[in-house]
Amino acid sequence: MADSDSLSFRRHPHPYSVDLVRWLPSSISSDRLLAAAVHDPAVPYSNHLHLLSLPDPSSPLASLQLPSRATALRCSPSVLAAATSSGSLHLLPSFFDADSAISVPSGAGFHVGPVRGLDCGGGAGGEEWVTAGEDGRVHVVAGGGDGRVAVRRVWDGKGMAGYEAARWASPAEFATGGTACGVQWWDRRKGDAVVAQCKGIWGHGTVTGIVHSIDIHPSRKHICVVGGSSGTIFAWDLRWPQQPIPLSGVGLDGTAQPVCESEVWEVLFDNYTQSSDIISSTSTRILPVMMCSEDGILAVVEQDERPLELLVEPCAINSFDIDPQNPSDVVCALEWESIGVLTRGRDSMAE
Amino acid sequence: MPGVPTDGGAVGTVVPFSREPGDAVAAPPVRTIRHGVAPPVSRVYVSFSSGNLLQVACLGPPIPEGGGGRGAQEVAVGRVVEVNLGGGGSGPGGADVEEEIDEAEMRRIQYGSVPAFALLQSRKNALADAAAMSRVPSVSEHAEWWQYVLEYSKTIGSLLGNPDSLPAFMIDDPKTILKDREKPTSLKASWELLEIFFVDKQLKSWLPERFVDWLADYDSLLTKTENTVYRTLTNFQKKLINLQIVEDDPDYWNGLAAALSVGWLDIVVNMLRFHGSYQLDQMDNRETENGLVEAVAVLVSTMPRMRPDLPTGKLGHCCKTRPDFIKALEKWRGQVNKLECSAFWIQCGHQKTRDGLKNLLHIMLGNIKNLTAATSHWLELFASHFLYIRPFTVGFEGMNHLAQKCIQLKPSTDNSGLTGLLGGILSENPEVVLAECTKSFGPWMVTHAMELLTADNDYADMMLHEERPNIGGISLEELHRLVYAQVLCSHSLTWQIAPTYLSSCLNQGLGLLEILLLKQPIQDNRLVLKTLEICRLYELGNVSTNIMKIGGIYHWKHGRKGTGVYWFQQAHDKVRLDRIALQLFENIGKSVTDDSFKVVLSSFTGTEISRGPFSRHKKEGLVSLLGKQWNFSYS
Repeated sequence: MADSDSLSFRRHPHPYSVDLVRWLPSSISSDRLLAAAVHDPAVPYSNHLHLLSLPDPSSPLASLQLPSRATALRCSPSVLAAATSSGSLHLLPSFFDADSAISVPSGAGFHVGPVRGLDCGGGAGGEEWVTAGEDGRVHVVAGGGDGRVAVRRVWDGKGMAGYEAARWASPAEFATGGTACGVQWWDRRKGDAVVAQCKGIWGHGTVTGIVHSIDIHPSRKHICVVGGSSGTIFAWDLRWPQQPIPLSGVGLDGTAQPVCESEVWEVLFDNYTQSSDIISSTSTRILPVMMCSEDGILAVVEQDERPLELLVEPCAINSFDIDPQNPSDVVCALEWESIGVLTRGRDSMAE
Repeated sequence: MPGVPTDGGAVGTVVPFSREPGDAVAAPPVRTIRHGVAPPVSRVYVSFSSGNLLQVACLGPPIPEGGGGRGAQEVAVGRVVEVNLGGGGSGPGGADVEEEIDEAEMRRIQYGSVPAFALLQSRKNALADAAAMSRVPSVSEHAEWWQYVLEYSKTIGSLLGNPDSLPAFMIDDPKTILKDREKPTSLKASWELLEIFFVDKQLKSWLPERFVDWLADYDSLLTKTENTVYRTLTNFQKKLINLQIVEDDPDYWNGLAAALSVGWLDIVVNMLRFHGSYQLDQMDNRETENGLVEAVAVLVSTMPRMRPDLPTGKLGHCCKTRPDFIKALEKWRGQVNKLECSAFWIQCGHQKTRDGLKNLLHIMLGNIKNLTAATSHWLELFASHFLYIRPFTVGFEGMNHLAQKCIQLKPSTDNSGLTGLLGGILSENPEVVLAECTKSFGPWMVTHAMELLTADNDYADMMLHEERPNIGGISLEELHRLVYAQVLCSHSLTWQIAPTYLSSCLNQGLGLLEILLLKQPIQDNRLVLKTLEICRLYELGNVSTNIMKIGGIYHWKHGRKGTGVYWFQQAHDKVRLDRIALQLFENIGKSVTDDSFKVVLSSFTGTEISRGPFSRHKKEGLVSLLGKQWNFSYS
């Protein structure tokens, strides 16, 4: 239960279009590290990944160039992966060694077009990557230790559906979501096929929308939470695949005010906010979820509770990440060329 | 530029540009574009895209049918090239600003001013609505208006500071005259000047002192070419390190007189303590001299000031009311006179000290000759009048008269920027103020400063809001806002804040907003969603429908049929959805084989679908996408 939570928010100007931002596992030094995907429209072909350190992220410690604008960024314990709008994938073990980067170029063998679904966690060692793109293709990329990668095409929808998000649930299962196709659950053990689908609930009388982000909690692998267009957030429990649970959205709930009315760009399960329902694993309630949106709102939504707004900014929040090693800290990428770091109260009484 | 075809040639002829010799207009710069299309280029299409981007599409002649055979290489039949015409000139800051503030910093100021501007406009609209409904102008609400403007002004003023320029640790050197402060910018100086003179009504009686404070902060920016008190002191500061006997140097006394004349009392007292007579080994010999120096220092630090309070570290005796001040001034002047006439001067051995201190005393008594000699710029002389000669000057007429007198005594050639601005303010000429802002400080300043000018000034209000036929029937206020919005639109990072300004322009704003939104590229889905969000906020339903339709066609043509159909559905584009549905109905209903189905589909969409099993799953996928368009059962 959050009693007196103090919030401190610091805005750091970063004079580029900051598209995506992620925490990096902090190394031996005490400074916290961030990876930011930036784009400078004044300089053509200027798309970079910046390594920034807190408390002063004004100038990057290192910078890596990408062939086109980054559309997905994900961090595994050892590798930072970025996917781009031309359809290429870049696996970077180290920021300081550009030669160690492994790239999978875009093209007929991989993706053509923006790849927004990217996640790490599949396969035996948990180091396989799933990529899902707007071209309707889904791949699994396994990185060999010797610098080579094995790319396997799981699916080619040939444009019938465009995917926007992907997330591993277990080493053999992952979920994807896209434009007008809702959410799909894939099982690799069943021949790389979709075993369950859900259209989602979009409120407002709309039949369908675009899924922007999916998250799956490591302790509840059958539930995924989905954020999409028009402020829609819902949870999909595989045990009841035809009854998705609305968490927020325009027109979903007669009386409750939706937390936002525009695109929900990212959703993440929030480990810091303690659920008001203390009983944990047997509960059927959905754990609290943090979201960021185009109207500049960063909030925590919980099933049947009033949403808790953490930030209300005059500009859009395009991306955010919760520090896995320190869940009270949240970094977000603001539309107006800045990076914001939100620190939630460290109450000495809270454990 | 194409000239007019002389023989009335075919439409689309490109005619070479020929310039008459002796033409006054300079030839336009010619740029070569590498487009990679093999000659001959049969068609060229040119259109402006978002911002400063020009899109040039070069198309070569179509490849003949059946030519080449399977092994032929593909020749690019056409290319679209984006040319960035930006760079140089019209940024959001004017001449002065661009030197001091870099682009990223200017953008930061632009972003920060959007919420303040939007809040002020919404308050203005609320007041106007309330007035329209109640029909009785609410006097109290209008009286409160200047407070909203003051809040707006303070919010924006705080953005203009540069706190990072302050060094982290400052070692307090006892011999510093001018402390390191945050580096002033002329943008902040001009903003504060407008705030002081136009908005802050609380200050009315203490305006002169507030001006003296302003000068203390921004004296360094007054002019680049001529001398100022600030420059005098910095020059002396550099000399100070090497000086052994401070009081022998005439610059020491000049510096003291200059600082005293503009009211920098703390600096004067500090500098007086550099006097040689304070040194321990000299104290016994120069007791009288030291006594005189100290007496002057004490008098300086107790000078009466007509103001309610002083910031920490500043010196003076504050008087809140006029009678208090007059009484204190009389008493203080009496003390100065007494010191001036005392016998101790004869005993003072050092000539320069005697003359220098007496000069300071004459300044304190308000002697115009000494003040004129001590100050370097007419603005400084102007400020010194407020302190020593006419502390009760209020009202623009009096101040303007005084300013003219000072300009005559200290003529200046450099009359732009801050001095020009002040001239315009004092002569109560909002046109001059606006012109100066435009020239020196740029469109951002003009757009936001207009609110300050109209806070309490009926003439400025009328001048800015009157609709003028010579600029197309819009008001000056709208004109300046449109200019600023165009500057914002020219950069792909700031175009999203332009709608706030465009929506406040009643005549042409919405039309230009629609054009801006329709010009945004649709290749990136995220950008399309952001554009549609703006359409939703400003209730531009037809614009969003158009954007969705264009997006739908784009994605359909490039093979992303699912996305294309989704956009058509969002746009409620029945026509195209019906066509798609009809084609598929015909194909599936005829129970054709998979291969021919694909051929038909590919001919419809114009894309190649590879051969191979076309699963039922995919067919179902396409069918389910069309949703409600289908009203027959698919077996």
